Amino acid sequence: MTDAALDELGPVDFVIVEFPAGHTNFTGEMAEELLKLVDSGIIRLIDVLILTKDENGDIDAVELEDLEDLGELERLEADLAELLAEEDVVNLAAAMEPGSVAGVLVYENLWAAPFAAAARRAGGQLIADGRIPIQAIIASLEADAELETVGD
Amino acid sequence: MRVGRVGRVGVVRAPIAKTAVVAAAVKPGPAPIAKTAVVAAAVTPGRRRRI
Repeated sequence: MTDAALDELGPVDFVIVEFPAGHTNFTGEMAEELLKLVDSGIIRLIDVLILTKDENGDIDAVELEDLEDLGELERLEADLAELLAEEDVVNLAAAMEPGSVAGVLVYENLWAAPFAAAARRAGGQLIADGRIPIQAIIASLEADAELETVGD
Repeated sequence: MRVGRVGRVGVVRAPIAKTAVVAAAVKPGPAPIAKTAVVAAAVTPGRRRRI
């Protein structure tokens, strides 16, 4: 990748979605929504792995191409890069419960790329980023409410 | 897993800790629904910070 291409690269994130044993209900809706995100240019899918963790904690990683009946996802598979390494699989699976299956997605936030590039051109440097869990917002609001009660 | 993934330096730097399950805050039921509404209100455009 050239310096110019790197300069236009959007932030790259990963998510792991765990499906506890006995709690899966795959209808194809997830694949449809993922395709919409890609087709609308919101994200570029970089890598996908399906992880399984058995009751003994042993981990297995399955490639998207190894799944049967990929359907529409097949056209995404051709554009994937092999970014994640075996070492990553171990680190990612640390969050999984034994007996569960998880999907790992690595993606570029295309929607953020123009702003990020503009910020870089303006001399800005990303010094931190992160996600605020919904639970943290709830906790903050509850603490606010508690303070109001004390003040009464 | 593809052979190409083996032996390479990873990009995820450390074992990942499980985050609190977000679904727990938005599950159907009286209390979680109330919480969802409260959170929605908290991120409504125009809400002002209290310091």
